[in-house]
Amino acid sequence: MSADEPVPESTGDSGTELADRATPRRAGYRHLMRAVLYREYLVFVRYPANAIGGIVVALFFFGLLFYGGRMIAGQALTDSIEGIIVGYFLWTLSIGAYSSISNDIGSEVQWGTLERHIMTPFGFAPVALLKGVAKLVRTFLTSALILAVMLVMTGTALSLNVVTVVTVATLTVVSVLGLGFAAGGITVLYKRVGNWLSLLQFGFIVLISAPTFDLGWIRLLPLAHGSALLQRAMVEGTRLWEFSVVDLALLVGVAAGYLAGGYLVFQIATRRARRLGVLGDY
Amino acid sequence: MTVSESVIETGESPERATASRPDAASGDPAVVVDGLRKSFGSGTGTVTAVDGVSLTIEQGSVVGFLGPNGAGKTTLIKSILGMVIPDEGEVHIDGVDARASPRAAYADVDAMLEGARNDYWRLTVRENLRYFTTVSGVEPDSVTARHDRLLDRLDLTEKADVAVRDLSRGMKQKVSLASVLAGGASVLFLDEPTLGLDVESSRTLQRELRRLVAEEDLTVVLSSHNMDVVERICDRVIIMSDGEIVADDTVDALLRTDDSHRLELTSADFDNELLATLTGRPAVVRTESLARGGRIELRADSDQLYALLADLDERGVRLDDVASVDRDLETAFFDVTGMDGPDP
Repeated sequence: MSADEPVPESTGDSGTELADRATPRRAGYRHLMRAVLYREYLVFVRYPANAIGGIVVALFFFGLLFYGGRMIAGQALTDSIEGIIVGYFLWTLSIGAYSSISNDIGSEVQWGTLERHIMTPFGFAPVALLKGVAKLVRTFLTSALILAVMLVMTGTALSLNVVTVVTVATLTVVSVLGLGFAAGGITVLYKRVGNWLSLLQFGFIVLISAPTFDLGWIRLLPLAHGSALLQRAMVEGTRLWEFSVVDLALLVGVAAGYLAGGYLVFQIATRRARRLGVLGDY
Repeated sequence: MTVSESVIETGESPERATASRPDAASGDPAVVVDGLRKSFGSGTGTVTAVDGVSLTIEQGSVVGFLGPNGAGKTTLIKSILGMVIPDEGEVHIDGVDARASPRAAYADVDAMLEGARNDYWRLTVRENLRYFTTVSGVEPDSVTARHDRLLDRLDLTEKADVAVRDLSRGMKQKVSLASVLAGGASVLFLDEPTLGLDVESSRTLQRELRRLVAEEDLTVVLSSHNMDVVERICDRVIIMSDGEIVADDTVDALLRTDDSHRLELTSADFDNELLATLTGRPAVVRTESLARGGRIELRADSDQLYALLADLDERGVRLDDVASVDRDLETAFFDVTGMDGPDP
């Protein structure tokens, strides 16, 4: 019997009972994906205040950086504005992906919905991953808007090959998603540590501006290598297929490694929370 | 066979295909717990929350867990549900080992947990039902009629498209109950389902729950501090104290287990001095001074009763009223746990 084939009709429908005994069909991962993504979409469009607030705050600080910097540094800032914009764009993407996934896991614990998911046939794992994808898409939309305003505000032109930018930026931010999962796992275990974990976001600035070409090992850190590639793509106009295989392999490897590592930390933390009996205690 | 069992047996949902569930008709109990033990902490600070508990809950029964704070009720329930990993013991749901095949074991199980929202407040009532139906492994479009009837039963039809956050607390509890029933779960764990509700909302929820239990042939495990709720809804009561089961019987049997006489004696001759003297007598549960005389409540076997009446007669006390005090679940609970009853 296929996944979506109706279940055979069973007896005992009195007409007053709740059960749809004739037609229930099994939900698969396709249905789960639709349900999770639709939920994220509804929350995004129905409660836009958070997204709008994030955009306004990000642009306010960029305005301070740009106009304040121009008064102090003058031409020096103007000369490096392209790199600053790309770095700022990547930073907003990173903090959006990181905070949304780590905060979201904390909220699920607080609401008791994480415990409900753990009992379901799917478990919380695929739900969390799908939420991560949704958050990534959402963050891309808001960061793209921030990028557009930054370009207009500064009168700067960048190379925006969509395939290259989206691919490199996505793979770069996936490593941060892994950090978000790890932070979520720590939140499951120790609860109210969100403010401390938020401090990590400032570390992203260091990683984004890290000198990867001087110190090779830094490329293994999250964001660093991807940031360098994104600068080349957006400032120098390098296309995806023009990067070396080694660069691309490292980009994919770092993304996969940190995502898998972060997810493993989340799973271990959740299991430990179950052993300590603190999974749902908030 | 219930809806969800049909789905599970015929579907290929994750981890279900490899661990098929037995038919309910096979007669497996809904829940079997064997030697479950859970301790927290280490060394001298170790606290044993559940101490070797074994129990069996039959399909279609409604079982209430009672116990003082710290008795181990919530830890036991969460251990059964896999949210707490026990140190020892086994849990079988519908005959499936919950530790070996958790997803298969919990496929027909859902829970409303104490102090938790259990659903998404920023979604509407119907959106919650659809979402939690999907995550429970059932395609929501195939059970739309069920959702409509569920909303109707719980008087939520008019609020179906309202965000849960905009509903009253009573309504939110109903939505929580609706969402655990939406996917067709046949075994429900309800931890303090009426907590924080006003009397009317609590009564409504109890009535609807009882009706749904009958209609759906649900197995319900309910934990509550509210003994009225347990007495009204449950067929069987399990009383826990210090991590152990100290009583496990039907409500009727628990109410019958006391052979003592429970009487309330009122007399104008009960002055404060006499009441103070009587307070020390083992059969006297409490004394109360009234505007004219006083009242004493007794729990005494026949010998104690006759001795006390003879004593009162010798003191020249004339009783104005003798009333029988009904034994309720609360009294049974305090008797079984050995705790002091509430202040009068």
